[in-house]
Amino acid sequence: MFKGVNIPDLSGNRKANMLAIGSAVAVSAVAALTALALWLGSGPSVAVYTCEPGQDGRPEGLDALGGPIDMSGVFERFGDVAPEMPGAWVRFRGGDSRNIVEDGPPLANAWPETGLPILWSVELGDGYAAAAVLDSRVYVLDYDPKRRADVLRCLALADGTELWRRAYEVTVKRNHGMSRTIPAVTEKYIVTIGPRCHVVCLDTATGDFRWGIDLQRDYGTAEPLWYTGQCPIIEGGRAIIAPCGEEVLMMAVTCETGEVAWSTPNTHGWNMSHSSIIPMTLLGKKTYVYCALGGIAGVSAEAQDAGALLWERPWDAKVVAPSPVQVGDDKIFMTAGYGKGSMMLQLSRDGDDWTVETLYERVPKEGLSCEQQTPLYHDGLLYGIMPKDAGGLKGQFVCYRPGGELVWSSGQDNRYGLGPFMLADNKFFILDDEGELTLLDATAAGFAPLAKAEVLDGHDAWGPLALAGTRLLLRDLGKMVCIDVGAKNE
Amino acid sequence: MSERKKLDRRDFMRGAAAAAFAGATWFAAGSKAEDTVWQLDPNKCTQCGRCSTHCTLNPSAVKCLNQFNICGYCDLCFGYLHPGSRERDTDAENLLCPTAAIERKFIEAPYYEYKIHEERCIGCAKCVEACLVFGNGSFYLQVRQDICVNCNECSIAKACPSEAFSRVPASKPYLYITGDTPPNVVR
Repeated sequence: MFKGVNIPDLSGNRKANMLAIGSAVAVSAVAALTALALWLGSGPSVAVYTCEPGQDGRPEGLDALGGPIDMSGVFERFGDVAPEMPGAWVRFRGGDSRNIVEDGPPLANAWPETGLPILWSVELGDGYAAAAVLDSRVYVLDYDPKRRADVLRCLALADGTELWRRAYEVTVKRNHGMSRTIPAVTEKYIVTIGPRCHVVCLDTATGDFRWGIDLQRDYGTAEPLWYTGQCPIIEGGRAIIAPCGEEVLMMAVTCETGEVAWSTPNTHGWNMSHSSIIPMTLLGKKTYVYCALGGIAGVSAEAQDAGALLWERPWDAKVVAPSPVQVGDDKIFMTAGYGKGSMMLQLSRDGDDWTVETLYERVPKEGLSCEQQTPLYHDGLLYGIMPKDAGGLKGQFVCYRPGGELVWSSGQDNRYGLGPFMLADNKFFILDDEGELTLLDATAAGFAPLAKAEVLDGHDAWGPLALAGTRLLLRDLGKMVCIDVGAKNE
Repeated sequence: MSERKKLDRRDFMRGAAAAAFAGATWFAAGSKAEDTVWQLDPNKCTQCGRCSTHCTLNPSAVKCLNQFNICGYCDLCFGYLHPGSRERDTDAENLLCPTAAIERKFIEAPYYEYKIHEERCIGCAKCVEACLVFGNGSFYLQVRQDICVNCNECSIAKACPSEAFSRVPASKPYLYITGDTPPNVVR
């Protein structure tokens, strides 16, 4: 007992007190358990959503492709006469794959105030497929939405008259246009790659079908987003293709027979991009350079080790539309849009051992970057149109040193979007999205416009330019036009 | 005590006229205020993100819309997918939206529909910026009038660096990027 403290005597009522205390504890426990159950059962105070793969209902595999197609298709002839015209543009970026014409006829330094006359025009299915030209004939792999067919059309360069066409049925839905690529043409063969990755070889003289390869079905190629933009090349009677399939990165197909002459394994599982194979001579070695989704690689183009992988370098761009650009004897400039930017690679070799060093990588706000078109390299400088995420330079035609320093830009009043450009007779031809053609003096130390002309109605005038002699072929989303830019117009 | 002044007829008429004028003024001013609401001009918006942090409501009354007739229905949607995403699917780690407010649904190859769940959208404009830079610009912000409490002094308008907020007629409360085109949008 505590001294001086009066504690009531509970002994007589101990049982009742214990019962009361026990009841209180029990009630408290039940209340606590109930509260806990309510708390656990009520869920989070903020809604939680489950985001797992497959919730969008994306189909898998080849189911989305439909059945195999007959690539021989249907041939139609409309005429034979193609008045003789000078000049050729045998594949994407011209015969030397540089998009530069140095030995052509003189071109005008100024255009009539009334504009450039349209010599002829032809309606096309929506897209960006552009022309190849050989022996006075224009070849374009169009898409006919009514017929649902890829259609190789042969037109007379003189007046646009359609001479023949060969069409194979394939479903292509509008997805930023339908057609994409440029044929490769020699005197004997024409090779095309359709938007759904169908490679077809025809006889140039007759339009006869030789062979076809469905890259998706035969090689496990994953069709790029918005269809493929890869343009084929023909070298030494072989079509050089980059299937980027389950096993094959690059291959050569003999045009005469359709047999695969050599192939390069796809050891890293890279995927097909919109980029095209560019032939280069690097450190004395003939090389095919291709930038896939996953990385860029150099493959031997020489007979003794054709198809051998010389070097490779991973690159994780999501979308790659431009093609590699050779800078000097031992460097490669590569760019891609959608936030990726660019990089400069330095190659070195010790016999058959190649090494790749990255000189720099830049985001679009830090250096030359192109989203869709391939930059030009001329007289030690790089030229291109900056992408939408390039800050103040967005859409401007720019000149950079290979080291990454900006030399000049076209200014905020001269933006060109995603349009194509080329260099001929020391003049830049730049087509903007809406079909306005600008002529620049390439010998000037800065942006020096010579002339402008509306040649197309636009929009999306993104198909690459083709120049045969003095005839320039351009297109917007739905129409191709032919104009004469020769010096006689001055 | 002072003698109470008797109200004569002239004073009464003056008072009545003043009261009528004041009432008419108040009514006119009141009617005018009710006729306008806050809205943001998507062409002035710089996607700064303040719409999500400065609204008196939480979450903000500013929501993203997807203008159907401009959307490319792309598989690779930069407004939907995070720049660092490895796959083009609906996994949480691939999403740009911090609240998973955009629903992606396969329509037919190669098209995908993107729908905004407004109850999840906080108006941060991350998707708007990405779609504008790399896509067609079909995502854009608007003040949802069924949520906005129409404060006299809109705290977002006060914080907006591009002065994109203004009062617009309540009879035409939305500023669609297609001008007068009907609200062909997904919410």
